[in-house]
Amino acid sequence: MLILSRKIGESIVIDGRIHVKIMRVDGDVVKLGIEAPMEVPVHRQEVYEEIQRNNQQALTKQSTPLPKLPKLGAKKSP
Amino acid sequence: MKCAELTEPQITARTPHKNNVRIPTGLLGFEQIKDYVLTTNPAEEPFAWLHVEDNSALAFVVIDPFVVLPDYQPDLPQADVEFLQIKSAGDAILLGIVTINENQPPTVNLKGPIVINRHTHTGKQVIISNAGNYSVKHPLPVAD
Repeated sequence: MLILSRKIGESIVIDGRIHVKIMRVDGDVVKLGIEAPMEVPVHRQEVYEEIQRNNQQALTKQSTPLPKLPKLGAKKSP
Repeated sequence: MKCAELTEPQITARTPHKNNVRIPTGLLGFEQIKDYVLTTNPAEEPFAWLHVEDNSALAFVVIDPFVVLPDYQPDLPQADVEFLQIKSAGDAILLGIVTINENQPPTVNLKGPIVINRHTHTGKQVIISNAGNYSVKHPLPVAD
């Protein structure tokens, strides 16, 4: 792992197009400002991993029988 | 963009209906799979299927999250709204990914819905800004 020291207000550049700036340090909390192209998703790792895991569990075979739901979502009239 | 204003998705048609959906950044954990087919069938409402285009045996079961939780208020990050070129609430369709569990009720992911621009058929799995208010495993009520 590459380890770099940065001061507040300083940045790193990844691949010439992703900029990560140290915005603020407050105790053990570091605020980062991230600029990345729109096609580069940026996520907090724990939320990313939670959703990734859930997607993997949700992937199914088409023949999976669908659950029966009670009458749900009687659509509200506008 | 506050999404309370997002209108009800109209993913349901009277007859089985297939639409290609391109998800350029893939689903989380499936970043390499970008092309899907959304199949809706009145007989299977309120569920729909999001098949992997070149492997239709692989699919996700999806549901309109507003049917599950009528007061669902996902807040879509501005960057995602721009990425999807959503100009008004009516442009967006939201789908919640359903997990069918063996011994527990099925659940729906309300933290990371798939948002599709209904005009361009481009979608993205969006982690909503208010993800903390919702679960990735919101239980669906099940009939006996």
